[in-house]
Amino acid sequence: MPPPILAAPPPPAVRLTNVTKTFGTHTAVRDLTLTVPTGCTYGFIGPNGSGKTTTIRTILHIFHPDSGEVEVLGERSTRAANNRIGYLPEERGLYKKMTVRRVLAYYAALKGMASADAAREIEQWLAKMGLTEWADKKVEALSKGMAQKIQFTAAVVARPELLILDEPFSGLDPVNLEVIRAAILELRAAGTTVIFSTHDMAMAETMCDFIFMIYRGNKVLDGTLADIQRSYGEDTIRVSCDGGVELLRSLPGVELVRDLGQSQELRHPDPQALLRELAPRTTVRHFEVTKPSLHDIFIRIAKPDAPELAAPKMTGGGS
Amino acid sequence: MNKVWCVVSTEYLNAVRSKAFILGVLLLPVIMAISIGVQVYAQKKTDLTPRRLAVLDRSGQLYEALAAKAKARNDALRTQPSSVSVEMQGQRLKMDLSQQPEFILEQFKFPGDDLKAAELQLSERVRRKEFFAFLIIGQHILAPDATNHTELLYHTQTPTFHELPSWLDNTLNAEIRERRFTAAGVDSKQVRQLSRQVPLQRLGLAQQKTTGEVIAAKPENRIATHAVPIGAMLLLFMVVMSSAPALLNTVLEEKMQKISEVLLASVSPFQLMLGKLFGTVLVSLTLSTLYLVSVAWMLWKFGLLGHVPGHLFAWFFLFQLLALLMFGSMFIAVGAACSEIRDAQNLIVPVMMVLMIPMLTWMAVLQSPASPFSRALSLFPPATPLIMFLRIAIPPGVPGWEIALSLVLTTLFTLGSVWVSAKIFRLGILSQGQTPSIPKLIAWVFSK
Repeated sequence: MPPPILAAPPPPAVRLTNVTKTFGTHTAVRDLTLTVPTGCTYGFIGPNGSGKTTTIRTILHIFHPDSGEVEVLGERSTRAANNRIGYLPEERGLYKKMTVRRVLAYYAALKGMASADAAREIEQWLAKMGLTEWADKKVEALSKGMAQKIQFTAAVVARPELLILDEPFSGLDPVNLEVIRAAILELRAAGTTVIFSTHDMAMAETMCDFIFMIYRGNKVLDGTLADIQRSYGEDTIRVSCDGGVELLRSLPGVELVRDLGQSQELRHPDPQALLRELAPRTTVRHFEVTKPSLHDIFIRIAKPDAPELAAPKMTGGGS
Repeated sequence: MNKVWCVVSTEYLNAVRSKAFILGVLLLPVIMAISIGVQVYAQKKTDLTPRRLAVLDRSGQLYEALAAKAKARNDALRTQPSSVSVEMQGQRLKMDLSQQPEFILEQFKFPGDDLKAAELQLSERVRRKEFFAFLIIGQHILAPDATNHTELLYHTQTPTFHELPSWLDNTLNAEIRERRFTAAGVDSKQVRQLSRQVPLQRLGLAQQKTTGEVIAAKPENRIATHAVPIGAMLLLFMVVMSSAPALLNTVLEEKMQKISEVLLASVSPFQLMLGKLFGTVLVSLTLSTLYLVSVAWMLWKFGLLGHVPGHLFAWFFLFQLLALLMFGSMFIAVGAACSEIRDAQNLIVPVMMVLMIPMLTWMAVLQSPASPFSRALSLFPPATPLIMFLRIAIPPGVPGWEIALSLVLTTLFTLGSVWVSAKIFRLGILSQGQTPSIPKLIAWVFSK
């Protein structure tokens, strides 16, 4: 019996190999290797100015790396794949004097989409965004939230295989945020690879299959959330007690991580000893030893003295 | 190429559908109509209040003659029709005649020889608006050697009104001349005949056909030699100036509104720049076609189209194309390099200075179109589109080799300009913050 023929795994949506990009004397991205598997949702996190946007622009071939190789949707170091990529930049840009329909048709045409297909997609997306009646209004007449949704529609209207969203949720009210979030998940379910950068750690935790964190141009995290958390261990304690923050601060060995109002996150070398210290002093309503949140990990890495730059570095999510 | 075309068509449609374009198309005819209207209105609104003139005739011999001539003039003005009807190209046109005020003369007699006192008294009366002006005629004005500047003194506090002093100058000098001839026993009629000026007729050159037939030189046609070249060159300058600088604003606006980054995710910087450039060229060609068709129609209507050689239209479009590509790419580069309008305005100054060279030199070229200066200037690429076009428009035109050389040089320069601009555009369009210095821009041009 002949051995079964195994289907070759699909090529990754994005593969960056030892990419470095400098601007003058500033190194924006240093020796970055990253693999984004096809069909996943990949979250890019990092403080402002850490290199997220430069990485995204490098993937889009808006920037050419000084060294290293960029492969996107199977195309190496060319813009050939750009028609199959949808892009929502961090700072939105729409022609204010054009109508919504013309702007969307123009962006679709630039992606090489036939006008009839574009017209159909535009209608569908406007309906999905609840903006059908605004189709023939000028962009300048839209509210900020509406303009954000139109900008998102412009990124997805050409049915991209790879969707790159730079801060897609910034400035959105909860209703519009939910509309965009649902649309991203729908695209993801349909097989679109999604890369998005965000400062909303909760959103990254819930939406992303993989998290990549860049800090000062260096990759500091890359993997699934579970892998990342596992590498940090269960060193976080979530406490809710009547004594509150003041009491917790007064206890020896406590390192307060985050005050959540009704509860506090902290670290302590011996959780049992901490519980013994707390019990006679206050009423403890909740005491949980847990993994650090992504927010906590982010803060640990990106705090000014950056002690965790040398923290456990995860390897690429897909690799 | 499809993407370039996509940008071109969008840029073109955005521009021609904009209010600015529609206003631009209408603006030239509207400005012309307004300026003509204002002139006609101003002419009709000429102050026709009779001008009262006091005359102190110290010679005692000229006032009567002068007053008679003023009366004759006033009578003529009263009987003159306000308009005349002329026939042009089979159409009768009504033309308004310019209106002029009457001159009312009054003799002023002043006892004694104190001229200063007389001047002062008359000056006071002019200030009190009793007179508009006064004239003092010298005692010895009829003497054959009376040529000094004190024999005819015209005083007024409205020196900008020229009609009265001009009329006095001409009328009195004619009268004085007649009297001097008579006094010298010379027949003034004969003198006029003998001293009649012989008009100089300006002609072109005679030609001989291959059949041996000689074609006589044609009289100089001022429309063909002056009006057409100057008008065509100014129209070319206007359409270039109304299109190319707009590129700076659109590129800068797109950069400031972060539209460029969205576009660059789909097209390369060079495709984007070419799309914008060609879009503007199409807009400008549309504008010039509309203007030229209108101008040609008006010239044809008034029977003047024959004065414009047909090939001039083709040269117009070709040089317009070269000028737009050359200067348009420079404006795009400056727009891309800057982040603020104020910085762009500073950086564009050298480009504007180069663009203005033809405007500062065209009169010298018109005087001597074949001089070494004119020829050299027309071969200097930034000036070629306007200056070579002007030289071509001036009869008899320019040798073919000079035109060919200018086209080659300008095309090469234009390609270089587009290349340099593309390099600056590529890096500038996503740059933020401070506007780069000239050395930095040069570094961008030569960066990989």
